Amino acid sequence: MSLQSSADVVVIGSGICGSLAAWRFATQGASVLILEAGPRLDRGRIVAAFRNSTRRGDWMSPYPPSPWAPHPIYKPKDNGYLVQAGPYPYPAEYIRAVGGTTWHWAAQAWRLLPNDLRIKSLYGVGVDWPMTYEELDPWYQEAEEIIGVAGAPNTGSPRSKPFPMEPVAEPWSMRRFRERLAPSYAVVANTVARNSRSYGGRPACVGNNSCQPICPVNAQYTGDNAADAAEAAGAKLVPNAVVYRIEHDAQGRIAAVHYYDPDKTSHRVTGKTFILAANGIESPKLLLLSASSKYPNGLANSSGMVGRHLMDHPSSSLTFYADEELWLGRGPQSPSSINTLRDGAFRSEHAPYRLDFTNISQVYSVTQYLIKEGVYGPEFEKQLRWRAARQVNVKNVLEVLPDPDNRITLSSEKDAMGIPKPEAHYSIGDYTRRAADVSKADFARIAELMGGTGLRYSADGQFANNQHITGTMGMGSDPATSVTDGYGRTHDHENLFICSTGVMPTAATMNSTLTAIALALRTVNHIQPAPAPTSSTTSAAREESHA
Amino acid sequence: MNTQRICQLGALVTALACGHAAAATTTDNSNATLIQHGHYAAIAGDCVACHTAPGGKPFAGGLPLPTPIGNIIATNITPSKTAGIGNYTEQQFSDALRRGIRADGAHLYPAMPYPSYAQISDADVQAMYAYFMHAVTPVDVATAPTRLPFPFNIRQSMAVWNLLFVDNKPFTPDPGKSPEWNRGAYLVRGLTHCSDCHSPRNLLMAKQSSRDLAGGELDAWLAPNITSDVNSGIGGWSSQDIVDDLRSGHATGKAQAAGGMAEAIDNSLQHLTSADLLAIATYLKAVPAQHDPADTQPVYSWGAAFDELDSLRGVPLPKDANQMSGAQIYDAYCSTCHQARGQGSFDGGLPSLFHNTATGRSQPGNLVMVILHGIQWQSHGTDVRMPGFAHELSDQQIATLGSWLTRHYGNPSASVSADQVKTLRAGGAPSHLLLITRLAMVVVVLVIIAIIGMLIRRKRRKARSTGHS
Repeated sequence: MSLQSSADVVVIGSGICGSLAAWRFATQGASVLILEAGPRLDRGRIVAAFRNSTRRGDWMSPYPPSPWAPHPIYKPKDNGYLVQAGPYPYPAEYIRAVGGTTWHWAAQAWRLLPNDLRIKSLYGVGVDWPMTYEELDPWYQEAEEIIGVAGAPNTGSPRSKPFPMEPVAEPWSMRRFRERLAPSYAVVANTVARNSRSYGGRPACVGNNSCQPICPVNAQYTGDNAADAAEAAGAKLVPNAVVYRIEHDAQGRIAAVHYYDPDKTSHRVTGKTFILAANGIESPKLLLLSASSKYPNGLANSSGMVGRHLMDHPSSSLTFYADEELWLGRGPQSPSSINTLRDGAFRSEHAPYRLDFTNISQVYSVTQYLIKEGVYGPEFEKQLRWRAARQVNVKNVLEVLPDPDNRITLSSEKDAMGIPKPEAHYSIGDYTRRAADVSKADFARIAELMGGTGLRYSADGQFANNQHITGTMGMGSDPATSVTDGYGRTHDHENLFICSTGVMPTAATMNSTLTAIALALRTVNHIQPAPAPTSSTTSAAREESHA
Repeated sequence: MNTQRICQLGALVTALACGHAAAATTTDNSNATLIQHGHYAAIAGDCVACHTAPGGKPFAGGLPLPTPIGNIIATNITPSKTAGIGNYTEQQFSDALRRGIRADGAHLYPAMPYPSYAQISDADVQAMYAYFMHAVTPVDVATAPTRLPFPFNIRQSMAVWNLLFVDNKPFTPDPGKSPEWNRGAYLVRGLTHCSDCHSPRNLLMAKQSSRDLAGGELDAWLAPNITSDVNSGIGGWSSQDIVDDLRSGHATGKAQAAGGMAEAIDNSLQHLTSADLLAIATYLKAVPAQHDPADTQPVYSWGAAFDELDSLRGVPLPKDANQMSGAQIYDAYCSTCHQARGQGSFDGGLPSLFHNTATGRSQPGNLVMVILHGIQWQSHGTDVRMPGFAHELSDQQIATLGSWLTRHYGNPSASVSADQVKTLRAGGAPSHLLLITRLAMVVVVLVIIAIIGMLIRRKRRKARSTGHS
């Protein structure tokens, strides 16, 4: 097989951001080469692997890492790929494969709030973004039309055009939450990239309730759809291409990237423009790996900020039994939430948060629990029915502030290819912990309104991680304190751009994917402005062109 | 009952259908009613299917229609005076529609179903003319010309074809049959031109009238037998089943529409009145049976709920996807919608795979086509989207799956081979029409030369003998 060794645009990473950037370049006539470290996956085989797994609750189980491009695995035991430097564990999960981590997301495609971009000015915490929400709005819209997004109009994120789709039908459980929590709390439909009708050539959600680890019918937009679209538009995608070095020339422009194939044969690829889109952990790792005599601290790192300001969304939660049968598990896994606590003057004191209700079937977790408790026979069935019908869970989704000490560095340990593993340095600050304490009053109130019994709070100081890897290559207008400018161009290398959640200067309370896509589309447009749309660029036309 | 009476009856049904009972005769229709009548007839004729390109303006043409001898470009039939039919008189419109002759006298190719449209009544033609001239927006953009290989580039060759194969007598009602039957016959044979897909064709692409509606092929799809045969056709369907299928593309426990039929329902059939759909059903149920001995029981009656889950769970998938078993492929790609035992959803919205003509037919080609290309159909409140698996499943995987499906849910005598999938994936078996025609022409030329030679010889002999006498 002859391998292409040059392209106008070289994209590192075939996840949703890299692939959509590649797709956009390709549709504008550029030659595009996508290098993906992991293998191609096949939806049907993932579905079969999930169904055959004895560990249905482990959403990574259908995604075994490839030897040449490992990703972190924690169950049944830690594979040690993401080295933990502490003090608080950061068990990030992601997938190195064509299409990336959105293979098993819950399709939460949220916009930020306007104030999320100005928390330094407004509340004296964190940093401001080098752009306003209004500047981002058209790119959000475009991203939503490409991937097919629906949601409630009253989540606090303003929009100048309607959602491209109507929301998926509200599950019974969420309807009961909405009815019983009103007027104390407004429970609204989440903003999701999930089809309520055929859209973009993909069918409507039929309620399998396995969004994570895999939507079996492709009703939620995943990165493989973006990769397919990029290839259909003419981009060349090389799977199993583990980029291990980015090469610069004497002027500091990027000249080439080097990758290993699974046999560790090295290949060199040249290009004019380079897009780094290998997520918020692998991307900084690659920049640090590419250190040279001219750039001894790694590429794009004259500020020393590469890998720093690692953020995610920690969660604490309450599990309880409602006083009526709600039967979680019908419809999507994460359909509704409370959005009124995402912003307020309190942000100068503690983190804002979103309150999110799970709709994941409780049969599996209740079964595990009962077996552990030694309940068998007819009593088991009785208990299972009662608990699975009534058990519910509400969690907070907390903002963490950018902290330079929370960071990804190169470990002294190496993977099977001899490439240093990433090492996570992480802690959860008081700003976030205070919000967790405050939210306990909300949990209690929600349980009270639902007639809750058997209340089980997550342990104080213990947080679940939400796998929203953010920061690590933040954008900003000051090259001394940021890695890229407001358009994702690295301050140090004119032709190296970053399309990733890693460029987000703050994490806010919302899942980061949609913001990263919007920023990526804005970056591509900055590099190669799209021709002005002729006559009528309807969302339907766009939908078809992408299909 | 004479012809005129039937035409009036047809117009009456149509007018009633349009909700204009007051304008019940063809003579005193107001212009608006006439246009509305014409609109309905144009929908029944499904003009839009060919004459509108995807995303294009209605009736502006430009859609390339694949035929065994190359693409025929559908023409602009908007009333544009420069690019469409704006200068056509009603007679010229009628000739194009019913005789396949353009205003300039050139012959149309029978991709235009004029052999069927020949049956359309004068009243419907008049109404359609009014509709196209007054209610369709003119589009002044000419379509690309159709370029077919020799000898088909000579449009006059179609005159020969017409002479050989076209019976352009108008519809003649059968006074011995019910008005429903006659209305159904008028629609099926004429406007809705069912036989254009559902009848087999001979080597020269002409419908075999002796095997009317016995099943035909179109773009690698099989348009099935819709005669009254109980096993091979729709003899076992109730009238309601037929009406359901024509209206929604789904007859529960029988079949669902895919491919070209889904398009025909989408554009045309679902918009017909209940009375017309029932008339079509009445007629179809009385069409002479055409039996295929391979169909030993009704095609929709095969199979039962079945699974092999206990042999799957806990067993790792083979590394080589081509080694996956039928049950494994079904579990991975199909069972999410069609359910673990092939039973479909409780409300029939996701069809069961047993008691389904897709798996019960002795020729499983359509099953393969559906697996390859899915069913996509979204309009007028209908949203059907079965994904196609051409991208994900190999020929071998589809063969394994198809054979597993027919064995357990369908006709166990039908099996699918990887070669068959490969052929259908490529768009069906190649046509030899061009070769046959050219060979036939060579034969004809040789015969003519021989005849001329013989005549000359005879003449000379005659002359010689005369000279000698």
